[in-house]
Amino acid sequence: MNILIGTVVLWGLALWMLRKMQGQDAADRAAMWARSKATVIFMLPRIFVGLLGAGFLAVLLPVDQIERNFGTESGLMGITLATIFGLITPGGPFVAYAIGAAAMKAGATLAPLMAYVTAWSIVNLNRSIAYELPLMGRHFLLLRTILSVPVPMVLGLLVWAFQ
Amino acid sequence: MATEKPLPGSTTPKKLIDGSLIFITLVAVVAGIAVYITHGAGAFWDVVARETLFTGALVPKIVAGVIMASALPFLVSKERIQALVGPESGMRGLIIATLAGAIVPGGPSVTYPLTVSLLAAGADLGAGIALVSGWVLLGLNRTLIWEFSFLPANFVLLRVALSLPVPILLGWATRKLYQGRDV
Repeated sequence: MNILIGTVVLWGLALWMLRKMQGQDAADRAAMWARSKATVIFMLPRIFVGLLGAGFLAVLLPVDQIERNFGTESGLMGITLATIFGLITPGGPFVAYAIGAAAMKAGATLAPLMAYVTAWSIVNLNRSIAYELPLMGRHFLLLRTILSVPVPMVLGLLVWAFQ
Repeated sequence: MATEKPLPGSTTPKKLIDGSLIFITLVAVVAGIAVYITHGAGAFWDVVARETLFTGALVPKIVAGVIMASALPFLVSKERIQALVGPESGMRGLIIATLAGAIVPGGPSVTYPLTVSLLAAGADLGAGIALVSGWVLLGLNRTLIWEFSFLPANFVLLRVALSLPVPILLGWATRKLYQGRDV
């Protein structure tokens, strides 16, 4: 359902931009269509192969282990583990939130939960393989990953320090 | 590809088969074989069927996102994009990129082509990092629809508050790292 609403909103925006393009040269319009076509041809096989790879990895990764071990450690160790779990948690837009909520019910504290959700949001293996590497290239992915990996640790430690 | 008139912000991809595609293909093949061996043929074909359907469902979204990303450089001048999010755009440019990342709807099939398009049209790498970071950390769509429905509101608000400066910091760090270097 969400994907349907998102698609409708996007098409609204795209059609609005296409209307604006009517005011441009015919040559510009032709160039825009050529570029769109080339980009779709570039993206589609990558997204399909990437989603397949991420889908297979999701089967291999021990998600139930993550759920079971999350929040059993506290302090720095707990935050580090939660960060690693977050980085490797596969799945769609809400899997990590569901795991986080379950861990909270089971007694996990705020600091590892912060590290976990932030880690999963900022860099996750799934999205890196299915989208970011093929679409943005290795350089962008590596740069963003290296800069981002400390962030969940820092946010987790901030929460821990002020708790 | 030589053209007489340089196109604004050309995002026309370089090569159809490149290192990244070979790498993700290897990941898919190796992980696929591992799933086949450890979980059986049923699990293997489940994944293939599911991801094929999902890719099909994504196609309309991808096409819309790509049209937006391709049209943008024709509708907004290079000078304007450079002034907003170019190398000289300062802190203001990083804030604009972060906010853009937070509000752009549509997920990865829109945000990444849009970022590529903006980078080609005059945005600098720092702004690109801020935009993607703004989307992954602060994306309104995901936070409002999903995060609030699973996690307590005070946790979500605290996470958003702590994350607010992060995309700007990462963009700034990128600019520092690449200072004086032509990327």
